[in-house]
Amino acid sequence: MRSARFALVFASAFAILLAACAGGQQPSGGGSAAPSGAKAAYGGTLTFALENDVSNLDPMLSGLFVDRNIHYAMYDSLVRVDPQGNILPWLAEKWETSTDGKTVTFHLRQGVKYHDGTAFDGDSVKWNIDRYIQTKGSLRTADLGSVDNVQVVDASTVKFNLKSAFAPLLGALVDRAGMMVSKKVVDAMGADFTVKPFKAGTGPFILTEAVKNDHYTLEKNPDWWGKDAAGNKLPFLDKITVKPILDADVALTNLRTGQAQVINRINGKDVPVVKTDPTLTYQQVGSFSWNSMVPNEAPGFIFNEHRYVKAVAMAIDRDEILNKGPAQGIGLVGWGPISPAHFAYDPSFKPWPKADPDGAKKLVAEVGKGPLKFELLVPSGDPATLQTAQLIQAELAKADITMDLKTQLFNDIVTLQQQHKHPGMTFVGWSGRLDPDGNTYDFVVTGSPNNDSSYSNPKVDDLMKQQRAESDPAKRKTLLLQAQQIYAVDDPSRVWFGFGVSPLVTVKNLTGMESYPDRIPRFQTAQLQK
Amino acid sequence: MIRYILRRLVLMIPVALLVTVGVFILVRLSPGDPALVFAGEERDPNALAAIREQMGLDQPIPVQYVVWLGHLAQGDLGRSFQTHQRVLEAVTERLPATLELGLAALLFSTSVALIVGILSAVKRNSIVDLLSTSITLAGVSFPSFFLGIVLILLFAYIIPGRIFPPGGYVPLTQDAGDNLRRLVLPAVTLATASLAVNLRQVRSSLLDVFGHDYMRTARAKGLRERTVIARHALKNALIPVVTLIGIQIGAIIEGAFITEQIFFWPGIGRLAVQAIPSSDYPVVQGVVLISAFSYMFSTLIVDIVYAWLDPRISYEAATA
Repeated sequence: MRSARFALVFASAFAILLAACAGGQQPSGGGSAAPSGAKAAYGGTLTFALENDVSNLDPMLSGLFVDRNIHYAMYDSLVRVDPQGNILPWLAEKWETSTDGKTVTFHLRQGVKYHDGTAFDGDSVKWNIDRYIQTKGSLRTADLGSVDNVQVVDASTVKFNLKSAFAPLLGALVDRAGMMVSKKVVDAMGADFTVKPFKAGTGPFILTEAVKNDHYTLEKNPDWWGKDAAGNKLPFLDKITVKPILDADVALTNLRTGQAQVINRINGKDVPVVKTDPTLTYQQVGSFSWNSMVPNEAPGFIFNEHRYVKAVAMAIDRDEILNKGPAQGIGLVGWGPISPAHFAYDPSFKPWPKADPDGAKKLVAEVGKGPLKFELLVPSGDPATLQTAQLIQAELAKADITMDLKTQLFNDIVTLQQQHKHPGMTFVGWSGRLDPDGNTYDFVVTGSPNNDSSYSNPKVDDLMKQQRAESDPAKRKTLLLQAQQIYAVDDPSRVWFGFGVSPLVTVKNLTGMESYPDRIPRFQTAQLQK
Repeated sequence: MIRYILRRLVLMIPVALLVTVGVFILVRLSPGDPALVFAGEERDPNALAAIREQMGLDQPIPVQYVVWLGHLAQGDLGRSFQTHQRVLEAVTERLPATLELGLAALLFSTSVALIVGILSAVKRNSIVDLLSTSITLAGVSFPSFFLGIVLILLFAYIIPGRIFPPGGYVPLTQDAGDNLRRLVLPAVTLATASLAVNLRQVRSSLLDVFGHDYMRTARAKGLRERTVIARHALKNALIPVVTLIGIQIGAIIEGAFITEQIFFWPGIGRLAVQAIPSSDYPVVQGVVLISAFSYMFSTLIVDIVYAWLDPRISYEAATA
């Protein structure tokens, strides 16, 4: 047992190996190497059309995807991720994990200052992590739930002492749980820090203006520490204006008419046109996000009978949903929550490669309670989602399953779902997390916060707990896939039907940007060619 | 008159209180949990409980109301559940955009209604009259969300030269020209429905006044037709028009809810539309309260203007 425990090493160790192997080629400021012979183009202002207004600029209190689109420009986190999903140094230049997996020591980048001039050091890291863990109402407590305390070894070294080995920790530190903010600015701004955290980060851009529902201005941080692969000091751009534009068509029009230079969302129907537009550049990679229908499996509800969930999962035609639905073929079909962008993805996992309405009929007949009829709650105000739901409705009808559609406010649906009060199924997706644990654990383990379907399977619980403590990625993958076979197929917890992609559309003269699986644009290497 | 105004101002307080009770209850009828919106995809139960406590949602609704009213009495509308921004600050940040749009719409609808309405009444059953009646019918029939989209399509895409941008806002102080260019389409959209109503009212009031004896007398005195219309007909015909315009001042905020959304106009209508689905109670309450006050003030102003237009109207008796 002891030797087994000693054998435990974090997945971070794997990441260290990756980082170490790639260390020589990785530019400190991220991004790919500059095009050979190309001269760095400094200056310029661009507008990024964001899909909605940001909710909260404090990484501690942020719960929405849109927020992160600004966070990544103004804050640096302890570690970063590359477009392939590898975890690499950022504010922490290197790290080691103890053999028992319960201590992670970070060696911090020296000479870094927050935008307000205060120093970034070990004390600052401790203060930030303590703030995330101890503040009442912090939304980072789950990400950092494994952290017992942070110990400052010296100004450039901190030790994270964990309650137990936790493989997904580094993945969490890439995002908001690892973002460092200035204590001085937090103290000075008080409650307004969520709205106007000016000069609070160490990132490549400084937030200088925040007009809710209108625009956010990020100006170049001339003292940023990052360099690109050619040794050029980053960032290149002088200014970024972030404008919330809710409608994807309007955002694209803004891009085409020169009122915006970057978008990271596009309707499937527009992709072929954009790809052939000589004035635009289109990039996409598979994302971590998934789409699903969430049954209420609590006692007293229709889907307490799990065979019904399986019947629905069998009857739907995933290819048709992807190709004939609003996505217009932009995305990937899927049967579970582990996406092709995750290390644990299994491309052969296709339990129902084609829709099986006859199999679904048999399963419903086996239950012996007559035809299956249920209600799907669909968020109002989103024609694309409604269109997908209608397509699924027609597919289920082929298996004699009646699905009634009911539109409601998204928040009302989520509330009902979280209280396990939705009568049939809901239609809710997930933006995805870097580590597959973030796409799975909380949705399927008994009593977990996102387990809105009230799912409970002891074998799944056991496998999911084992994978968290497993250091060997290959073994971890096996455990994750064993669990997926149960919660997605044998005893389904919900109906997964596809994965999203992360598009990045820019004007042609904007170079140095790459699409990331998390869909968040990184601007530090962006250049506006004259 | 001053006593009358003071009395009306005092009477606003119970009305405002009724509005606060109504809106306080209505926003809470939706089953949505504001804490869940705030937390987004994060669902740590301890964090959610702490958020609800911070929002005061762990208290019974009457207690929440009394606390909110207490803060309101001190001029504090609270903070947005979602952004923690002060509601008063959020509203005042957006109020200039809404007022600018509203005033432009009011100016447009009133001036066009007066000019075309007078022409239409004077040249009754002419082509001008026929055209104005048709425009009126179309204006009343087109919902603003449809008209807005048609205008965007027409002026920002179909007609070459992109005369007006499809949306967005630039502060007047930053670039007056760009501000005005962006103002045109939303102002026309917001104004059209009221323009149609005002135009009809101007025309029918004038036609009604034209039949009175004092009009015949004015003409018999040998006054020029222009003077007869301007001095004798228009002033008498304007009383019902003023009522309409007064109500429309209050309706600016209401109309802006849709127009601002279409044109990405960062006013308080858009603020409320975004706050409603996220169950951001303090913001919705704040905007509704301000909207209610704008209605009450505009009707008061209408009553005052009445007295100026028609000296026979006196409020002294009413206050005695």
